[in-house]
Amino acid sequence: MSEQLSADIVVIGSGIVGSLAARRLALQGASVLILEAGPRLNRGRVVAAFRNSPIKGNWMGAYPPSPWAPHPIYVPKDNGYLKQAGPYPYPAEYIRAVGGTTWHWAAMAWRLVPNDVRIKTLYGVGVDWPMTYEELDPWYQEAEELIGVAGAPDTGSPRSQPFPMEPVAEPWSMRRFCERLAPAYAVVANTVARNSRSYGGRPACVGNNSCQPICPVNAQYIGENAVAAAEAAGVRLIENAVVYRIEHDAQGRIAAVHYFDPDKGTHRVTGKTFILAANGIESPKLLLLSASDKYPNGLANGSDMVGRHLMDHPSSSITFYADEELWLGRGPQSPSSINTLRDGAFRSQHAPYRLDFTNISQVLSVTQDLIKEGVYGAEFDKQLRWRAAHQVSLKNVLEVLPDPDNRITLSSEKDAMGIPKPEAHYSIGDYTRRGADVSKADFTRIAELMGGTGLRYSADGQFANNQHITGTMSMGNDPKTSVVDGFGRTHDHENLFICSTGVMPTAATMNSTLTAIALALRTAEHILPKPADVHAAALNAEREASLS
Amino acid sequence: MKSMTGRPIPLLALICVLTSLYANAATTTDSANTEQLQRGQYLATAGDCVACHTAPGGKPFAGGLPVPTPIGTIFATNITPSKTAGIGNYTEQQFSDALRRGIRADGKQLYPAMPYTAYAQISDDDVQALYAWFMHGVNPFDTAPTPTRLPFPFNIRLSMAAWNLLFLDSKPFTPDPGQSAEWNRGAYLVRGLAHCSTCHTPRNLLMAEQSSRELAGGDVGTWHAPNITSDADSGIGGWSESDLIAYMKLGHAIGRAQAAGPMAEVVDNSLQHLTATDLQAIATYLKTVPAQHDPADTRAVDTWGAAFDELDSLRGVALPSDPNQMTGAQLYDAYCASCHQDRGQGSFDGGLPSLFHNTATGRTNTNNLVMVILDGISWPADGSGVHMPGFAQTLTDQQVATLGSYLLKHYGNPAAVISADQVKTLRAGGAPSHLVLLARLALIVILLVLVAIIVMLMRRRRRKALPAGP
Repeated sequence: MSEQLSADIVVIGSGIVGSLAARRLALQGASVLILEAGPRLNRGRVVAAFRNSPIKGNWMGAYPPSPWAPHPIYVPKDNGYLKQAGPYPYPAEYIRAVGGTTWHWAAMAWRLVPNDVRIKTLYGVGVDWPMTYEELDPWYQEAEELIGVAGAPDTGSPRSQPFPMEPVAEPWSMRRFCERLAPAYAVVANTVARNSRSYGGRPACVGNNSCQPICPVNAQYIGENAVAAAEAAGVRLIENAVVYRIEHDAQGRIAAVHYFDPDKGTHRVTGKTFILAANGIESPKLLLLSASDKYPNGLANGSDMVGRHLMDHPSSSITFYADEELWLGRGPQSPSSINTLRDGAFRSQHAPYRLDFTNISQVLSVTQDLIKEGVYGAEFDKQLRWRAAHQVSLKNVLEVLPDPDNRITLSSEKDAMGIPKPEAHYSIGDYTRRGADVSKADFTRIAELMGGTGLRYSADGQFANNQHITGTMSMGNDPKTSVVDGFGRTHDHENLFICSTGVMPTAATMNSTLTAIALALRTAEHILPKPADVHAAALNAEREASLS
Repeated sequence: MKSMTGRPIPLLALICVLTSLYANAATTTDSANTEQLQRGQYLATAGDCVACHTAPGGKPFAGGLPVPTPIGTIFATNITPSKTAGIGNYTEQQFSDALRRGIRADGKQLYPAMPYTAYAQISDDDVQALYAWFMHGVNPFDTAPTPTRLPFPFNIRLSMAAWNLLFLDSKPFTPDPGQSAEWNRGAYLVRGLAHCSTCHTPRNLLMAEQSSRELAGGDVGTWHAPNITSDADSGIGGWSESDLIAYMKLGHAIGRAQAAGPMAEVVDNSLQHLTATDLQAIATYLKTVPAQHDPADTRAVDTWGAAFDELDSLRGVALPSDPNQMTGAQLYDAYCASCHQDRGQGSFDGGLPSLFHNTATGRTNTNNLVMVILDGISWPADGSGVHMPGFAQTLTDQQVATLGSYLLKHYGNPAAVISADQVKTLRAGGAPSHLVLLARLALIVILLVLVAIIVMLMRRRRRKALPAGP
């Protein structure tokens, strides 16, 4: 090894969460080094690869895993990276590359609703968070201004400052849903990290409708933007650095991390403070991998909670034909939803949910259906046009409760670098299943209001995965039942922090990224506080810059 | 030139104070005052003073913007009414002299980065309103911008006196009685406050505008300010007046051109705020500016190209691993098609411009096309924002050249070219200027000539002094 690598702060993982924490710390004057297992990607090449792919519905197609840092792939077949121990599959998708998984996301940047952090107290289920919603509010705001969030005010998440941007223009289909479902259901614009106007040096959405696998014009904030912001702030990033061990000293402080380069050369990086930000599956994997004589169960795992409480947002859905032409596929893929069922006294009985309308072009799925049905010739053209114009679909986004038996462990199988693969143990509990049952009545009612025909419900007991990996390194005040404290510091190691969706102790009903960013900014502040005036000035400068 | 107006503002202010006891009188004076201030503000907008006299993120009119010129970087001054850092101590006469003669209060010359050769056309009345607004309508800021330090010989500001002698026409605008009032208003604005010629008129070796080639096109740093004469091919001869007005108001004329670079700033800061009457007047005048034809323009620069794609060459073909080997079609597919669409046709409503029938691809001077690819376009435009991402960080010189050449070949003027060297130069901020060296050489030559003359004279005198031969 030619270079002794060292920094004040070493961050493992260059996703949107770790990069924004790194950026904030670098702006505070710390030397910050990010280690990223995957390679750098180029947006134009991802766009070209997507356009060139014959399998348009495969959002991972443009992100092939690198041999040294594999990630799960399921199309055309499971690459066997994320082992499934059952009983229910947990087919998470994520991307190991510079910028992380938000290379493809729908840019959903939801806040929690206030009661989400108190469900144990209020409803006797799950756990409470070690903080209030009000404490999170300023961190949400900082996160929203950084990544440029557009949203409508009435989603159940109060805020003390306005959104950085007005909502993105409503596609025709969503306007019709909004008009026809009122007053039974309030359909509102989603809260998204997508530009409704120029913001942060990026253009407004022009409606390519390919948010996943890639926003081709950079209207949607992704991890690549966070990495660029971090590097502009002075952060150094080493790509293709596969961390395989975290090393502690005799006192239990973290002394160094070790990584493989793609040729399996080993490198040791020392630092004063370490931040683990390698997502909700790879992070616990790394903690478990770093077991030592002093910590035989792995690092930060005195509680045996590392990897446990694995959660997601399972979804069931309905597809039907509306009685008017709606032509899904214009504008963003996920523009609007119903948010009134995210909280209520019923939470003591069944899972709350958000109802989310898809706006993905139906041409592909309708074509597949017609071919399956054996329709061809002129009738095919006619049917394709009619169905693509009329077919709509909505899904629920259900809360799951933390269950210690749902967990990530180390598989006995190893990847090409000789590192054990992660293994998912997962099941979907009755609380969630009851929520799905209840939501079925909403599906039916909404279909009726839209004059729906050909109603197709997803099979009972079948749920789609939403890639919102939460819970595996939960935060809490009690070191016996949680991995990190309310500021993301591991209970067991004074200088090891975790910034990840994995620290969220419950999953609530919203996509987890914005909350993880807000928590990470709060962690960064805890590690290296900003003087009050500097903080305000920096926020103001960002606000002004974003307007230009 | 002599101001007829003396010092009206302190006097007005005094009157205001004195008459404030008498409500009626005060109201009249106040409204006159308010009206003058409003007019001054409007004129300052038309003059786009803010463009140079405000640094990015800085206080309005507090100066500090570095203006790169061929003779070195000139820092714009603070023109707020600050008494320590700005022009708070200027009399109206001093203000007028700075504006129209390029002489600041201490008697020293301004550099003609300040467009006083154009502002010389401003009427006394308008100077008075501008003065009123700058003194009373602008917030004073006491921040002193970086002083301008040019290399020898330009650090001697007196050198500009000679330049002014040659190139400054200090006569205010005189209306042409043979033309309509509208035309005269347009001419007054274009030649004066709006100082269009500052960028759009080519300059000679000494950086003075070539008045015989008014608005025939000039270079502004790395950007090209195009020909806006009435020539049908090279200029705006084919544009309707409403096209011109749309361009000035919205920053684009669909199917013709859109503002980028410094011109987008002009629309943003200045033109879009002008009244419909003034925009009409400017359009009327521009349509009569004598045509200057560039023989390279064999057809109107906004009529080249057609919808085209090379999708067949892309599908099923792997991208080369060396980015510099990517074809124009591959680059277009990856970086352009998401907005400008598969065949370069833009969006149905023109909000995302078509790349054919667009001056951006129709000119033989291709600097602007390169600059737009590198820097993009970004300005607020009525709140919604006009934004094209820049690709300076994404594309190599070769990629920009390949892509640009592809655009020219299919959507634009196929005779135009872009080379990787050109991209490299523009990316670095443009070709270095030799003006400083030239000026120094010229001075040496003049010095040598002077020495030669002196030597000759001395010899002659000595010869005369010699006694005649026997």
